[in-house]
This record gives sequence, structure tokens and C-alpha cells, in this order.
Amino acid sequence: MKRLHLPLLASCLLLIAPLHAGVADQAVRTRVASVDVIACKTGVQDVVTFRGSLPAGDSFAPKDNLAVASLVGGMLDKGTTTQDKFAIAQKLDAVGAGLSFSVGDTMVVFNGKCLRKDVPLVVGLLAEQLRSPAFSEEEFSKLKKQIAGRLQRALEQTGYRAGQAFAATIYPPDHPNYEPSTETFLAALETATVADLRAFHQKHYGPAELTLVAVGDVDIDGLKTEIEKSFAGWNGGVKRPDYPRTTARTDADRDQTIFMADKPNISVILGQASGLRYTDPDALPLRIATTILGSGFTGRLMATVRDQEGLTYGIGARIGNDTFTDGDWRIVANFAPNLLEQGLASTRRELKSWYEQGVTAAEVERTKTNLAGSFQVGLATTDGLAGTILSAVHYGYPLTWIDEYPQRLNAVTLEQVNSAIKKHLTPDNFVLIKAGTVPTAAN
Amino acid sequence: MNLIRLFLCALTVSAFTLHAADTPPPVAPVIVDGFTYVKTLGGISEYTLNANGLQVLVLPEHSAPVATFMVTYRVGSRNEVTGTTGATHLLEHLMFKGTPNFNREKGNSVDQLLERVGAQYNATTWLDRTNYYANLGKDHLEAYIAIESDRMRNLWLRESDRRPEMTVVRNEFEIGENNPIQALDKEINAAAFVAHPYHHSTIGWRSDIENVSIEKLKEFYDTFYWPDNATVTIIGDIQPANALALVKEYYGAIPKSPEPIPQLYTEEPAQSGPRRVVVKRAGQLGVVGIAYKTPAARHPDMPALQVLGTILTSGKNSRLYRALTDKNLTTSASADVGFFHDPSLTTIYASLAPGASHEEVEKITLAELDRVKKDGVSDIEVASAISQLIASSAYARDGAFAVASTLNEYISSGDWTLYTTLDDAIKQVTPDDVKRVANTYLGEDHSTTGWFVPIRTPEATE
Repeated sequence: MKRLHLPLLASCLLLIAPLHAGVADQAVRTRVASVDVIACKTGVQDVVTFRGSLPAGDSFAPKDNLAVASLVGGMLDKGTTTQDKFAIAQKLDAVGAGLSFSVGDTMVVFNGKCLRKDVPLVVGLLAEQLRSPAFSEEEFSKLKKQIAGRLQRALEQTGYRAGQAFAATIYPPDHPNYEPSTETFLAALETATVADLRAFHQKHYGPAELTLVAVGDVDIDGLKTEIEKSFAGWNGGVKRPDYPRTTARTDADRDQTIFMADKPNISVILGQASGLRYTDPDALPLRIATTILGSGFTGRLMATVRDQEGLTYGIGARIGNDTFTDGDWRIVANFAPNLLEQGLASTRRELKSWYEQGVTAAEVERTKTNLAGSFQVGLATTDGLAGTILSAVHYGYPLTWIDEYPQRLNAVTLEQVNSAIKKHLTPDNFVLIKAGTVPTAAN
Repeated sequence: MNLIRLFLCALTVSAFTLHAADTPPPVAPVIVDGFTYVKTLGGISEYTLNANGLQVLVLPEHSAPVATFMVTYRVGSRNEVTGTTGATHLLEHLMFKGTPNFNREKGNSVDQLLERVGAQYNATTWLDRTNYYANLGKDHLEAYIAIESDRMRNLWLRESDRRPEMTVVRNEFEIGENNPIQALDKEINAAAFVAHPYHHSTIGWRSDIENVSIEKLKEFYDTFYWPDNATVTIIGDIQPANALALVKEYYGAIPKSPEPIPQLYTEEPAQSGPRRVVVKRAGQLGVVGIAYKTPAARHPDMPALQVLGTILTSGKNSRLYRALTDKNLTTSASADVGFFHDPSLTTIYASLAPGASHEEVEKITLAELDRVKKDGVSDIEVASAISQLIASSAYARDGAFAVASTLNEYISSGDWTLYTTLDDAIKQVTPDDVKRVANTYLGEDHSTTGWFVPIRTPEATE
């Protein structure tokens, strides 16, 4: 048996070096054909990962049809004015490249991956798909049915149902994070037309706030040339607004049960609108506090409700949906029906202790090294680094933020952490959502 | 099913992502006292720790100052029998309960150490193996090796830990039961295998999870957790000689198993007719699953089967996308080509779209398979599938942890060198090969078909 010299280890923990000896120094950020381009060459061989966004998410959908933004995003890979979806897919498949689009509350995000030699192809197709989707009636009709099917399938998932109800309860309907009911979305889906989609695309798609991040074995000069060639002459688009702060809803039922038969695991969400954005001064202290309560196996919730009491497979706390707007704070847990009440009681006990007594200096210091270390590890892949760079852009930070993150963590004090808990959370007013075969709701 | 200690990540790992791409530059093996050098392939060098037979794989990868350390035990749910199903996985959970040297009370448990340094870590159990890993800053590598090696033989296995962990695992089982496809997958495997232990899923049967004794779990641990039944993999920003020295320091004193590691000898008898199962539960939309017996990962037909799986379901030009999803009959269709130590299943799952019937989707799926068997596939389809598979290999080398995760499945298949050689074999696949394997393996008499039939029930909201 070998013994580990932990004191020596602990003394080194706060000296974690930034991963890439300066991402800001390594990355090249330029504007090419009105596109904000950030390229970062890493040691990975032959792989290039793309990540990017433009503000055309669901919150930009017109008041009279909330499905339009999602539908436009869904049509991006259904063919362009010059080639159909099968021809595009064949070109990508032939070289094993991937390119996909997703629509969020605020942003349309695209992800691409290819080998180094295929960067020109992927950049060219990306530009073509963003600039000139075909919007064919036939594909539009298929897409509506596909989305309807996916939504209906999602209704089987307890986690989806709980999350949807939570967002619909804590956010007012005009908030970007508000989740309309599936029925409401399906009704909008039915009435949307191709003309609606074309109008939305014309207004919101353009390089005004288009970011493209490329990470990996990338030839930066070659990349710029391809972007110049593919995006030249494209104008328009919108910049995302500075969303106004909203007041959390208080009129909704704060204890909701969604009964679903044959679901032996119940998904639980307990939380509130946080009123905080990622960039707010209190956000990082509250993030540290939340990590102490509910992150990983040593977080208080997992250490007690799972490890000591065996009441759940997974329980955690997180703060989120706060990149562009004020977000939310939630505990997420799974419980068997016969352990639901006991699980909730234990959860509330830990929450109460955390809220009333605060966290300790030792916990804060441990969490700082945890967050700094996991941040470092997360940058070790092209996906992780590209995602972090795009997040920095979304937060409105310069790329030096990535390198300075450990220092920012270290600067947070115990007092700031405990103060943020009390200032921004009110457990007595938390919303509780339970989805699954909840015993008391079965009758 | 690939079970992990925290949250179920995926029903299966797609076999399509488990390849390396072009061979990295050769790395000269190092000479370290106490090790026997075995071979180097694809930049990965294999050594044996002479003291106890521990297999060690080393791959320097300097793109970031992180390292991944993983130990893979060659024990999975295939080593379980009636009454102990799920034991491998439950034991994996108990491996985090501590040892006399490293435990929560002392403040130096594996969780405490690894979370303090922000490591990405966990453990997973699957049919053929159990692995424990951490991806962490390279400066913390030694600390993790110390704990990982210690728990190989010194684990606390206490009833007081089993009781609460049993309910944790039971909740993991319940989470899986929430998912119609997982529920169907269990039934298909249980029908397809009558003798071989791939019959039961890795999570095990509920009653076994609840009742397996701590004594049985200890017996399991004492049978399989030995250095000569394990592979250590170290990838990342490391110097091979230093890494091997650490392995020797921390594993060198552990003896090899006092008894030969038991080898599974049960073979699945030949299937002589189609089998069917139906799962009826509350739900929204149906699922059709069609499974065929296909050979072990090391079989020479595996590359052609992977190309076939890609042609059938990968991308918009795949056969089943065009025949089903593009016609709004399914919301998705996928093919999981089983990549395991023993012969397993290749399963096609078609998730029904609203209004589609099981009969119609099954009929069209079978017609597409018949078309491949009768008419074969085109050169373009094969070339495209090969490109996708080879590119996936390159993507699966993105960082030390990605490489380790991929390598883990090859280790458990019985031949880690597939990490490199499978790509070469895939590049050689021809349309004739694809047609031949389709005819060899996708026969009705070797099939097990399952339907998930949703029962619409009224919902209550309060």
C-alpha cells in the first residue's frame, strides 16, 4: 500500500495553470466578410471543430406565431436554392463531415466537424445553408410532422415534462426562457406558412451578429479565405437586444404534480427564477454556493440524500439559463414513488441548512479548485474549447476571460458566497414540480 | 447497456465511433525495470507488469496538460448468473465507499480527491467490462493512481454501505424503466439469448438488485478484481517512463490472483426460428426493434457489418432514413451493431411517428433489408460509409479522455489493437462484402422482433 502525501497535493491546488498558456494569445479573432471569426489551432491532429451562432432563436419569433423561428432553423438542412438535402448530405457523408443546426431561446447555434482537408467544403455548405435555404413546401410539410412527432415522443419523458412545467411556472410568458405548452406550440406549428418562414429569414438571418469559432488542426489563413469567399456580399441580420429584467411570476401554482402512468421514477424540480445573469457580480459567488450544495458526489445533496440515505440515483443543484437573460436556480432529483416524500424531506433539510447556515470557508476553497480544475479539463478537447470560446462571446467577454477564470474564482470571498445565497434565493417561495407515477395523484 | 455511477448517459455506445484514424507517428517503447514490453501499434505501447501480469497501455498525447488514467477490469454482466444479475454494477458503485487508507472520514476518498481537483471521473459497467477512470490535470495523476490501485484489493465491502447503495441502484433501474426503448431493449435481449448471459441487461433484474448479499458481492470482488484481470491505460501529457514507474510503484506490490480467473464457457445455441416480444405500457408513440445475431467484435465480418449499419441508418441518404423518416413514418431509425466480446445483436430501432403503424414500419424495414440482400449496395454507398467511419475515428481521438473511452471498448472486446486495425479493415470493405454479411446474418430465423406498444392513459395534473 502506498500512501499519498495529501498536504503536499493540497498546497499545489491553487496553482493550477491555465490550460493553453493563454487562449487569448493563441486564438486569432478577426472580422471576415462581416463575420466575427475566432480561430484557434491546437495540438489535435486532422480534426477541426466549428461552433457558431446568430441571434434568431425562439424569442425572436413573431407574436402571432411562436413556432416560426424553430421552423426556420429546422429548414436549414432541408436543402438550399441550388441543391436538395440529399445532395448536401452526400457531400458531407462522402468525407465523414458533420454540420447541424439547433434553435435555442435566443440563438441559432451550428456545430460542424470535419477533417482538416474538408474545411473549404464545410464552410461553403454552412454559408449556403444559412444564406439560401430552399423553403420548399414539400420539406416544410415533412418538417412540421417531424417536429410534431418529436414533441409527442418527448411527452413520454418525466424530465422533459417537469422542466417544461417549471419554466412555464417561474417565467412570465414574455420572457425568453418561458416554455409554452406542447399544445400551444403544436397549434402554432399548424398555422405557420412558408411565407412566414421566408419573412423571418429575410429579417433575422445575416452577419450582423454572426460568430464562427474554429478550433483544432485549422489553417487559419485558409479558413479566412474560405469565409471571405463564402460569406462575401451577405448583409443584414439583427443584433440581440439587451433583454429587460423581468419580475418572477408569483401567480402560478407553486406545487404541481404531472401524473404519468407506468413511470417508476419521478422527476422532481425545486427552485425559482434567480433574477441573475451570468455576468452579474453575484452570479459567480452563487455558482460556487450552488456547487457546494449540489454538484458532484461530494456536493451536500449527493453526499447525504444519495450516499448516506440511498434515496436517489441522482440529485443536484444548478444555476442556469442565464447567458442572455436572468435565469433560474433549481434542484433536480429522481425518486421512486415510495421514496418520494422521504426524498423531498431530506432535500428540504439540506436546502434549509445550506440556506440558513451558509457554507464554510473550507467548502469554498475546495470548490474553487474544483471549478478551476474542471474548467481546465473541459478545454482539453476541440469541442470543449470551441464551446467555451463561444460562451465567452455570448457573455460579452473578451477571450482573456477564459485565461483569467481561475483568478476570478480565487477572488471570490466566503462572505460574497453566503451573501449571494440570502440575497437571491427564497426557499419558502420555491416552485416544486413532480412528474411521474406520483402516488398521491394516482387516484 | 452502459451503466455509469451518475446518470445514465446512453443506451448503447454506437459502434460507429469506436475507431482510430490514421496511425500516429511511431513512439519508441521505453525500457522500465519490472515491465516487459509487448508491442506498439497506433502509437500505443503495451507492457506487462512482471510482478503480477497487469497489462498496461501507454499513449503520450501532448495537446493539453491533462492525462487520463483508466483501469478496465475484464468482468461485466456476462460474468453474472441468476441471483447475481446486476452484481457487477452494484459492486462498481461500492468501489467508491472507501478503503482503510482512503475514505471520506479521512478526507481523502476518491470523490474528495478528484472533485477537489476538478477531474472528469466516474466508472461504468457493461456486458464485458467494468472501468474506472479520471481525466485530470497531469499534476494530479499520481494521487489518483494511488487511490485507484489501493481499491483494487483493499475495498471496504460492508452491509451498511450495500443497503443505501442498493436503493440508489434500484432508482437507476427505475430511471431506465421510464424509457420505452430501454424497456424494449431488455425484452429483446432476454428473448434473443436463452443460454448466454447477454440474456440479462447490465443493470440486472430488480429482485436481484434488491437481494444480492454483501457476501456474494465480496465473492465477486475476490474473484475478478486482480491485476492479472485488468488493463491500465494512461493517455495524455505524460512521459511513458515516468508513467510506468508510477504504475509499478502503486500496483507492483499487489499479487496476482491466487486462483485462475474463471472464464465463461456458455455459448448461445443456434437460433432456429424468429422470435417476437411485445411490451405494452403507458406511452405516446410506438417503437419497432428488429435484432439479428451477429458475431463477436473480433470477427472478420465486423467491418462489413459496421459499413452495413452505416448504410442503413446513418444520415439523410441512408436506406431507412429515406424509406421511413423522410416519409414521416418514423421520427428516427438507428442501427446498433453489437461490438462485444461474444456474439451479440445488431438491432435496428425504428421510432414510430404519429399515425404510423408497427406493421407498416416493420414491413418497410424488412423490405429494405431484403433489397440489400438481393440487390446489394452501391459503390458510392460503401465509399460514403467508409468515409464516415474513418472520420469518426479521427473525431474519437479528440483529447486523452476520448481516446481512453474508445480504447476501453476494444480492451473489453478482447483485442485492444482493433483500435488501429479495424480502421484498416473497414477501408477494405467492398459492396460484395456488405451484401454477403447482410445475407449471412440478417436472416429471419436469426431474428428477434420487438414492439413497444403505447397505451394512452388519461393524465392527471394537480
